[in-house]
Amino acid sequence: MSDPYKTNRRCFIKAISTSSAALVLGFHLPVAAKPGQGGAAPAKGFVPNAYLRIDPDGTVTVTVTKSEIGQGVRTSLPMIVAEELEADWSRVVVTQATTGLGFKSLGTGGSWAIGGNWTPLRTAGATAREMLVSAAAAAWSVDRATCRAEKGSVVHAPTGRRLGYGELAEAASKLQVPTNPPLKDPKNYTIIGTRRPRIDGRPIVTGTATFGLDVRLPGMKFATILRSPVMGGKVAKWDDKRAMTSAGVRAVVPVSSGLAAGVAVVADSTWAAFKGREALDVTWDNGPNAAFDGEAFRKKLEESSHASAIVTRKDAVAAGTSVTAARSIEATYEYPFQAHATLEPMNCVADVRDGRTEIWAPTQAPDRIRERVAALIKQPAETITVHVTMSGGGFGRRLGVDYALEAAEVSMAVKSPVQVIWSREDDMRHGHFQPASANRMTGGVDAKGAPVAWKQVKAGSYLSIFGPPSAAERASSDYWRDASWGCYDNPYSIPGLETGYVPVDSPVPTGPWRAVYSPSCSFARESFVDELAHAAGRDPLEFRLSLLDPAKKFKAGNLNIDQGRLRSVLALAAEKAQWTRKLPPGWGRGIAGNVYDGDTCLAYVAEASTGKDGSIRVERMVCAVDCGIVINPSGVEAQIEGGIAFGLSTVIGGEITIRAGRVEQSSFLDYPVIRMDQMPKVEIHIVPSTASPTGMGEPPVPPVAPAVTNAIFNATGKRIRRLPVRLPAAAGGEK
Amino acid sequence: MNENLIPQDGLRLTVNGTQRPASAPPDTPLLWILRDVLGLTGSKFGCGLGVCGACTVLVDGEPVRSCMSTGPEVAGKKVTTIEGLSSDASHPVQRAWLAEDVAQCGYCQAGQIMTAAALLARNPRPTDADIDAAMSENVCRCGTYQRIRAAIHRAAAEMKS
Repeated sequence: MSDPYKTNRRCFIKAISTSSAALVLGFHLPVAAKPGQGGAAPAKGFVPNAYLRIDPDGTVTVTVTKSEIGQGVRTSLPMIVAEELEADWSRVVVTQATTGLGFKSLGTGGSWAIGGNWTPLRTAGATAREMLVSAAAAAWSVDRATCRAEKGSVVHAPTGRRLGYGELAEAASKLQVPTNPPLKDPKNYTIIGTRRPRIDGRPIVTGTATFGLDVRLPGMKFATILRSPVMGGKVAKWDDKRAMTSAGVRAVVPVSSGLAAGVAVVADSTWAAFKGREALDVTWDNGPNAAFDGEAFRKKLEESSHASAIVTRKDAVAAGTSVTAARSIEATYEYPFQAHATLEPMNCVADVRDGRTEIWAPTQAPDRIRERVAALIKQPAETITVHVTMSGGGFGRRLGVDYALEAAEVSMAVKSPVQVIWSREDDMRHGHFQPASANRMTGGVDAKGAPVAWKQVKAGSYLSIFGPPSAAERASSDYWRDASWGCYDNPYSIPGLETGYVPVDSPVPTGPWRAVYSPSCSFARESFVDELAHAAGRDPLEFRLSLLDPAKKFKAGNLNIDQGRLRSVLALAAEKAQWTRKLPPGWGRGIAGNVYDGDTCLAYVAEASTGKDGSIRVERMVCAVDCGIVINPSGVEAQIEGGIAFGLSTVIGGEITIRAGRVEQSSFLDYPVIRMDQMPKVEIHIVPSTASPTGMGEPPVPPVAPAVTNAIFNATGKRIRRLPVRLPAAAGGEK
Repeated sequence: MNENLIPQDGLRLTVNGTQRPASAPPDTPLLWILRDVLGLTGSKFGCGLGVCGACTVLVDGEPVRSCMSTGPEVAGKKVTTIEGLSSDASHPVQRAWLAEDVAQCGYCQAGQIMTAAALLARNPRPTDADIDAAMSENVCRCGTYQRIRAAIHRAAAEMKS
């Protein structure tokens, strides 16, 4: 019985000794950052960041290091492990990693949970599988080559003997850990690529899943904060007399650690805190932003888009290429500030104590919470544990940590566990926002209708919650490239293509939002491609396909653009939507595609109808996507359905406006998001692939708006260059 | 002292078939009685304004925004929350929700399920238009609407057979 796998002292996987008879493997997953975002440093010693545990009863426990924000990671990541492990999926359970266990990175963002964990998680499952097979072979005293793993057991093929993983766990835990275990051929997958319902489905439909707001601790108080209505304002003075007489109110304390300063009311119940807040008397120092006007800023962005830009890409024009435009056009595309409007408002539970602090947060950034809370409460990070709860939506909002800092600040002040809850109005007004931007487009086509010039200049802001750029960054093309996905990574072949960025600072807190920088840039790019096609008198689909070479791959900045994959999804979406089929009167059809962050390729054909009153209805969205190997088709389709809803909300009315330094919106009444009766019919076509999987959380969003506005143009002849669409008064729009 | 703020100690509510004491000031929304007094956290806070539907419960079988009604208003009536629909996910609507793999983040789903259960109780065979009319006051920011629609049709078919 030879074991082909030699132990490597530098291996990234180790058996963890436990007192129980379980096989517990700790994995250091060398999860690389995305290109251009800094690589993960090599581990010093052994720093596990995932655990796989097999108990004697056969239960397989996978510790998930990514936050569940609706994208299904608590199902899809374990599926990858289970596939290589040859686990019985019905015996797989999930635990959520907390900080303080030595995990390397718990942050969730950038549509990178699958792409970044693909190889490490497969290796993890395969390693355990090989150890279990070796343990079975040893138990039977047979050649391990005659044994195989299947569905939670090892089978000895010649005799049909079978031992369950639970029975083998203890023996396997005493074996040396192999390196480079063989990975399965994708054609033999039985879990990956199959529809697996969400592992949290049952707790969700019975109301027992624990979201942040559902955390309850003994002695926990409830708090809510009255924040400065003006961005950047401060508390000048406050009087708690009336609030303290409000029933159930226990304390009133100032708070300054979040995005907006304010005064917290701490009470025995949520309602008592809300009522107590109404009784607070606070005088504000509005600070320097009381005159900030969103409309003036919008004009400033538009003007700035004409200014001299930092060049983010400039393609050389091949010798002999004609760049004489027979027809030139120009246009500016505008994108407003956007809120995340997660259905679960921001909240956090903190229990700050000397030497032991615990935080429960619906968050995408537990590591950052730990680091920032440590600095705030002046305690070592090692004394702080962040528990990640289920999140009622994320969309990048929970990559901020302001809500957790506030909770820690209040808990420290009142020396009690506290749940800080944001009202809907707080959430709509006092978070960070998708930055507003303007994209200035110029382009030309030659006498034959081929594009011969393209320039896209984005004017916008950096993500301020992560701090301002250094002087060196401010002057760097790399920094602003990263702030304009969808602009500099233009996937089309156009001679003389040039892109640029004009930084425009604002006092508005800005940060990640679903698809980060891409929605505004992609809206402008895919709309303007349409404009150029029409200027050339060509069909928008045929025009796009003519600019994409099936065999061409190139690098834009650090991103890899595969024209063939984009071409395929555009062609597939068009075919499935029957691009040339005649539509009913008043209907229009539009197409848009995108290569998201150098990875997932996705295209839509949108069909929209217009009413006599000018109202617009999106009837149908046909999607084609290439995201490499699909882990869970149900999950991929869910992200597309949801991405369409998210993108449509920016078309129908989503817009944060600011007057006198104050956000004007306060709820779903004035920040509309799409509802059941506005949801179009969605059809999804996935391109089969054996390429490594790429993300699906964000890629469905950017092409939604341009596909729809291109359809509106097709239906009405009206080109939408500013979101959201402003309907005529007759259709309930602007008077 | 404002008499609205005096805890109403005598308040008893019938929630999920059980009579329970629910001491809270009389202006306390039912949502916060359920969540903070009775420990039933399945009904969610989304807006506190009656415009998102996350807090929907059934009162004598009718869908009600629990953030907009108070304890005294529902005293003597039967309140059903997601926890009372069935604790083992055996209600046809819950089963359909699992079969269609509806949930993304899941936060709005209790309200969606309660609204759908009420719809099916009064209209066993809803059309798409009926579903639009009944469900369009419930926000799903993740955008699971297509699957909610499919799940309601599935539950309707199952309840009829």
